[in-house]
Amino acid sequence: MSFAPRPQVQPWKRANTSRRFQILLASVLPIAATALIVLFAGFDANLATISIFLPLQIIAAGLVGLKAFGRRGFGDAVLVVLTIFFSAFVLILLLSVFLSVLSEGSKAISLQFLTQNNVYISNTTSLEYGGVANAILGTLLIVGITTILAVPLGIAMAVYLTQSQSKLRGLVRTVTQALSGLPSVVSGLFVLSIIVTFGFSKSGIFGSLALFPLMLPTVARVAEEALKLVPSDLRLAALALGAPNYKAFFQVILPAAKSGLITALLLGLARVIGETAPLLLTVNVNNGTSWNPFNGPMETLPAYVYGYLSSSFVSAHQRAWGAGLILLVLVAVLFGLARYLGRAKSLKSKPTKQKASK
Amino acid sequence: MTKPAPVRRKLSAGPLSTGDKWFFRSTSIAAYFSFVLVALVLIFLFLKAWPALQEQGFEFVYGTKWVAEEGQPLIMQIGPMIWGSMLIALVGVLIATPMAISLAYMIVFMLGSRLAKVATTLIDLLAALPSVIIGLWGFYVFTPVAINWETTLHQYLGWIPLFKVENVDNAFRGSPFIAGWIVAVMIVPIVTSVTREIFSQLDKDLINGAIALGGSRLSVFRKVILPTSSGGVVGGVLLGLGRALGETVAIFYVLQISFDINWGQLLESHGGGVASWILARFGEASSGEISGLMAAGLVLFVITLIVNFIANTIVNRSQPWRKD
Repeated sequence: MSFAPRPQVQPWKRANTSRRFQILLASVLPIAATALIVLFAGFDANLATISIFLPLQIIAAGLVGLKAFGRRGFGDAVLVVLTIFFSAFVLILLLSVFLSVLSEGSKAISLQFLTQNNVYISNTTSLEYGGVANAILGTLLIVGITTILAVPLGIAMAVYLTQSQSKLRGLVRTVTQALSGLPSVVSGLFVLSIIVTFGFSKSGIFGSLALFPLMLPTVARVAEEALKLVPSDLRLAALALGAPNYKAFFQVILPAAKSGLITALLLGLARVIGETAPLLLTVNVNNGTSWNPFNGPMETLPAYVYGYLSSSFVSAHQRAWGAGLILLVLVAVLFGLARYLGRAKSLKSKPTKQKASK
Repeated sequence: MTKPAPVRRKLSAGPLSTGDKWFFRSTSIAAYFSFVLVALVLIFLFLKAWPALQEQGFEFVYGTKWVAEEGQPLIMQIGPMIWGSMLIALVGVLIATPMAISLAYMIVFMLGSRLAKVATTLIDLLAALPSVIIGLWGFYVFTPVAINWETTLHQYLGWIPLFKVENVDNAFRGSPFIAGWIVAVMIVPIVTSVTREIFSQLDKDLINGAIALGGSRLSVFRKVILPTSSGGVVGGVLLGLGRALGETVAIFYVLQISFDINWGQLLESHGGGVASWILARFGEASSGEISGLMAAGLVLFVITLIVNFIANTIVNRSQPWRKD
């Protein structure tokens, strides 16, 4: 009985020239073959990606792996190809969303689109008239009130979860987590039921109330993470110096966690600024400009998008895309600011650590 | 004379100063407010839903008729919508899970730390995209592409019951397949972030040990990474399922809602969704029908509450390092 000589497996060795050439070939050939088939045989590009490119790429990478490392190389190659394929797919979806909103939305953007309101505008009016200023104003007012309500409460919840010794913390955390899965339409229905029960009339403030349960869990969770990052030594030192808990919080922990708490605020804002269903259920739309969230109808960006999307005219669609672009920019700015603050803090915390170790 | 035993001193670790008492009291009130909020939502929805629930009985949940025309008695049963929600959420989860696991694997085990950070930020940004924008994109950009996919699926795999189509004129646009994809785009971020968190906290010694024993990428992934993290991944997927069940506006745009129950023919142009149905009806609803919609919202809330609760329990249990 004789064994076939096993391929020499030395994974720690750097790939030599011929191996590199094989890898290059395996990455280029499948794309080239697919492109040729699509171009000359008139095959559908989408279909070709799945039915021709993916199998070819798996086979090509698998062969290289097989030649280099034996059977285990084949499995690895398949895993790597599939991982990259799926990840690239998500990336393409994300890019597609961004690029389509940017390219379609930018057609509608102009100075008057940003500064005028929607009075006397119908589905067929040309884009030279009317704009979303009233919707931007409404969104900012409604979301602003939600922020004033939700941020202090969310931070107080985070303080309870991190500073107190209560036994109910686990339960509070569970309920808050469950609340973060509250469907937005249910939140809207809840406020609508309050409006109906007490005979109020719909107005901006109820929109704020409907967004409140959606914003609260986000703020509480991010703020909790931020407060956890503050070393407990700081708090204990303050307490040891005789400071009562509230002073330790306001004078030591709060300044240390400031940027993290602002991140919580921004992420909470980004969470609710584009919510549509709760606003549709609780605030009447308004073509004019309204400064009063406590009375009367009020326009918001999501409701504006929703309203114009339901129509079948081209200029109406462009209005929807334009408002969508503004909404996207708002979300991106909030998100970018939150990221920036989060990063600035982690940069700052590094040197202090080094000092402590000396 | 013997001295009486001294009274035992009371030891307590509670807050001492008045300021502290008020500080902890106010934070506790804020924390208990979350209970109050959930209770308020349940109570108010239930109060408003009660007339409809009483009138329709249990058939409200599993019946298949919705008649709300003037002069006829109201019949409100949301069976097809509940089934539709579940079908779409299931399709979405099936599409999103492989993508999310791939992404998490890529971020944790394949990318350098800088690229991994960029990828994480992109995924989080995807999570922050408002559903109305996904709906806009789904309606104008994705639907034509997806119809293309569906036609192909039908052409080559039409013999599978899932992809069967009775009448080609009444298929493809507005199908549960498209809605499932849209939902998948919306839940990929949350499943990815939970999975990534769990992958990145795995014991590095375990993985290095497996590699030292001669494991390859594939065998390490299958025999070490997946078994140790499976609980958390399942929890993340369930969280995604909860989100998918409650998705409203995006589905409303891309789905043709119909009470003709669709048992699983994904490519046919009719499906349902509880949340989208509420959005579709409330504008022209009479007060009797509003009550029915409230009941639908109540059912949706209870379902998502249960799913989320199970998901969070699993995720928390598989992340013991997060306990404080």
